[in-house]
Amino acid sequence: MEVSSLPISASQRGKLISAGYTSLSSLSSVSASHLAQDLKISENEALEILKVASRRSGLDRIDNGACAIVNGAQTAWDMLHEEESSVRITTSCSDLDDILGGGINCKEVTEVGGVPGIGKTQLGIQLAINVQIPADYGGLEGKAVYIDTEGSFMVERALQIAEACVEDMQEYNSFVRKDVRACQIRKEPKDFLDNIFYFRICSYTEQIAVVNYLEKFISEHKDVGILHYFHFRQDFEDMALRTRLLGGMALKLMKLAKKFNLAVVLLNQVTTKYSQGSFQLTLALGDSWSHACTNRIILYWNGNERYAHIDKSPSMRSASVPYAVAGRGIRNCASSSKRVKMM
Amino acid sequence: MKPEDLLHSLPTQTPKLTLNCPLLDRLLRGGIPCGTITEIAAESGVGKTQISLQLLLAAQLPTSCGGLSASSICLHSEFPFPFRRLHQLSLFYQSHIPNNPLDRIFIQPLHSPDHLLDLLSRLDSIVSQLNIRLIVIDSIAALFRSEFDNTPLELKRRSNLFFKIASKLKSQAQKFGLAVVVTNQVMDVIESSGNLRIGNSGFLCSSGRRVCPALGLSWANCVNIRLFLWREEERVDEEGGDIGSMLARRFIRVVFAPHLPDCSCEFVIKREGVFGVDR
Repeated sequence: MEVSSLPISASQRGKLISAGYTSLSSLSSVSASHLAQDLKISENEALEILKVASRRSGLDRIDNGACAIVNGAQTAWDMLHEEESSVRITTSCSDLDDILGGGINCKEVTEVGGVPGIGKTQLGIQLAINVQIPADYGGLEGKAVYIDTEGSFMVERALQIAEACVEDMQEYNSFVRKDVRACQIRKEPKDFLDNIFYFRICSYTEQIAVVNYLEKFISEHKDVGILHYFHFRQDFEDMALRTRLLGGMALKLMKLAKKFNLAVVLLNQVTTKYSQGSFQLTLALGDSWSHACTNRIILYWNGNERYAHIDKSPSMRSASVPYAVAGRGIRNCASSSKRVKMM
Repeated sequence: MKPEDLLHSLPTQTPKLTLNCPLLDRLLRGGIPCGTITEIAAESGVGKTQISLQLLLAAQLPTSCGGLSASSICLHSEFPFPFRRLHQLSLFYQSHIPNNPLDRIFIQPLHSPDHLLDLLSRLDSIVSQLNIRLIVIDSIAALFRSEFDNTPLELKRRSNLFFKIASKLKSQAQKFGLAVVVTNQVMDVIESSGNLRIGNSGFLCSSGRRVCPALGLSWANCVNIRLFLWREEERVDEEGGDIGSMLARRFIRVVFAPHLPDCSCEFVIKREGVFGVDR
């Protein structure tokens, strides 16, 4: 026990252990008065113990408690500040951005699911382009990692969307900036392709290898802002193995998102699950995967229109919004009877 | 295999196989792309086999004409294979393919899904040896039609096979730069049952009936591009008479494709092959 190695008196040690404070981290988050109450000692004595403990942890404790004692811990205040200043990746559909709270969030895993042809790959390509939007235009100026297990990534479409993005930036220029000389768009559509790291994987073993390789790859390419991942479907006979493998991969992706401040976008298929005597539509890969995702967007058809529905989000409420897949990419639905359905 | 090997630099264009008709190529923005699975779904008699035969020949065209300068293989589960029609079509390709085009088309009958899987695993050596760059499977539906009961367990077993077949095809398509075309049949849609909309049209009709491609959602998840062919019967009125004749018109539509907008085109089947028409 770490507490037993602290240079404090034996009685103090005894009181700490019997009150349940056995590790240094447990002492990091407690205040002096609380500790005094728990150990039935004076507040000064408690403060002394905490000082010793924090010195042992190697970190100074400032009075207003604004420093991480435990590796990775942050105060809620810091987290709020971080979130408010984080740049989100736009989807190019302002209605969809609105219900997402501005766009796809970094440090989080967002799952996008839907039937074939609804626009998952389209959204994926749009985001891989949009992450590269320069900071001058409110973008992340980052690069994208696209892990393609389906073979749906078509370069021609990516170029088409990139062209539209460049045109949009030029239009923004002419509206907002009077000084045209200062901001010539130097990006060509082809430049966008150079910033997409494209992995094509065809088997489960390749998938595991790439996910394990990603940590090294992204630490070498620090400007990656978004990671697209289309999971490889292979039905396992051994459900326990499947759960373990999927869970392991999900965890790795979450860690990557947090560690490198990436947006991780998972594109998932829809399948039918036989339950309670009938077939239900559900996202593929099951519950072990669903838990790993911070956000979930379901794309579906409503009559002749495509809709996006926020199914899961820690901060945004459930809502559905129509969107369109146009030649230029993902855009707002053109129909005048736009309705944002709030749940 | 190292993970670094799985990182590919993006080309500016995906290689494509022409359909040997400018209008159809325009619909597909160049032709059938390599490295992905293109499905052609239609009811019988509309033209999927005709288009497959045309592709088998077009693969041998030089790349300057949109071909792949390579051999092709047709795995067929529908019998008999239309050898005579293929021979007839090949006569129109002699200007571009001087030696007997039929020499570079390989035909293999299929008997069951496991047979297909077995063939696909042996395909690696065959593809590189014979310089094959097009695989046609005609049709995937016939392979699965009678073998499976309608119970959840059997359907799961069936969809497992879909994934295995599709992933083998895709991995070879990726490795060797192959174009893969799979034909599929359609099923009638019963009005009362809830039909899941997949792709650009909620209503696919052929010969006046509502239909949908066979093999369900699992198979739909396996293909990258889905094309639908259909037939409409039009009454053509005779002049002066009251009995008109029926004229069959054929159309092709993009149901879903990552790089193509929703569009359709009329086509006809002539002696020289399948050609789009501008009407």
